[in-house]
Amino acid sequence: MQMNKQLGVLLLGVAALALFGAGVARADDQLDAETKARIDRFEKGPATIDVSKYPQGVQDNYEIFSQKCTQCHKLSRPVNCDYVLPDEWSRYVKRMMRKPGSGIDSADGKKIFEFLVYDSSVRKKAMLDDKLAKLTPDDKTAAEAKIKEVHDKYDNK
Amino acid sequence: MSDELKSNLPQPPDAGPTASRSTVPIWIIVLTLLLLFLGAVYFDHHSGWFDKQVYAPYTSADELASYQPKSGAASMLTHGKAVYETYCGLCHGSDGLGKPGQAPELAGSEWVAKDITSLARIPLTGLNGPIQVKGRDWNLSMAPMGASLSDADLAAVLTYVRGSWGNKSGAVAIDEMKAARAAISGQAPSSSDLAKMTPVERGHAVFQKYGCFQCHGQEAKGGVANPNAKTAEQVPSLIYVADGYTKDELKTFIRKGERDIPMLHPAGPPPPHFMPSWGNVISSNELDDLTDFLFSLKPKGDKLDF
Repeated sequence: MQMNKQLGVLLLGVAALALFGAGVARADDQLDAETKARIDRFEKGPATIDVSKYPQGVQDNYEIFSQKCTQCHKLSRPVNCDYVLPDEWSRYVKRMMRKPGSGIDSADGKKIFEFLVYDSSVRKKAMLDDKLAKLTPDDKTAAEAKIKEVHDKYDNK
Repeated sequence: MSDELKSNLPQPPDAGPTASRSTVPIWIIVLTLLLLFLGAVYFDHHSGWFDKQVYAPYTSADELASYQPKSGAASMLTHGKAVYETYCGLCHGSDGLGKPGQAPELAGSEWVAKDITSLARIPLTGLNGPIQVKGRDWNLSMAPMGASLSDADLAAVLTYVRGSWGNKSGAVAIDEMKAARAAISGQAPSSSDLAKMTPVERGHAVFQKYGCFQCHGQEAKGGVANPNAKTAEQVPSLIYVADGYTKDELKTFIRKGERDIPMLHPAGPPPPHFMPSWGNVISSNELDDLTDFLFSLKPKGDKLDF
């Protein structure tokens, strides 16, 4: 009976400590829990893209993409994420290449960007059309022009 | 027949029990005393001395009091310790002894015992360059780790530092902290000055006010060392944020911060500097101006063709 009491006090202490610790940890995680959950979701998907049906130039760019981007994060993150518009890819590729030590120069950055725009217009077509439909007419025209430009550069070559 | 002879004879099998005296074994005495002592100790620790407020599983009125909502000094210390472990402990150590070559000890440091404004200046604006602590020379590059904290958080953490590890300087009241912060930012432009400035100029003042330059450099070109950070072990430059972010994305990032900096060597120590979350500190007007300022930093003519 007395042992139970002692054990009870001990357990209560441990529980209080654990709760306190969890509270502190949670306060930190909360900073960007939403982004972390999204990234987790993306990373659970497939880590490769079947590029065998893409034009040779796009396949070459896929090599650069998979080599450069995996320096810092899993390839499944960009492969499964919900960015599809040229504007989105332009921003994210630049954000990543501007990180100190990225080892991505502007030529590589452009190749990665073009691969992602091409791939999004084929593999994520439904999501792309959905997002295009929500843009203002001007933005939509600009985005479609950019996608066409990339296709013209690589298709049938 | 003499008595002696009689007792040496075999006893008849039906002889009854006979009374005799034998000494109590010593171990029983020791055990009894030990049990009594342990019982007394247990009683002392767990009876609550029959206080009518104490019920299981609590063992004393003191313990019970420790679960009550706290006020005043005790809560300052508890809160201060939590803040310390989050923002300071990584470099200065949970024991306040610092890290050789990286962060000086706070235990027994003469800087901790200084006036509140001098002490508060360190977490608020960071500390760069040579400094002597307890007779030893240091060359520091400390970020303004506390600039994003509230006056209450800072008062609590300074109170904790000034009252721990043998330090015996007095507590820091929230009002004193408020006054110290005001004194330190005294050089900041007045509100009438601010009204005449362009958003980019105001943003530059915000950049100064919150000590962004301490980590990201005076010209926001980065460069403060951040050992084991994946970003080439340095705090990133900000001059290309206009390329990589929309204004809204940038504002969200500044508000939320980034506590977990990816590591160059996963087995190594976490990088000492991280991006604090400024959401609770910076006003939305300041954030608008700061974003305008940061977007203005992009070098002219430095254009990517995608």
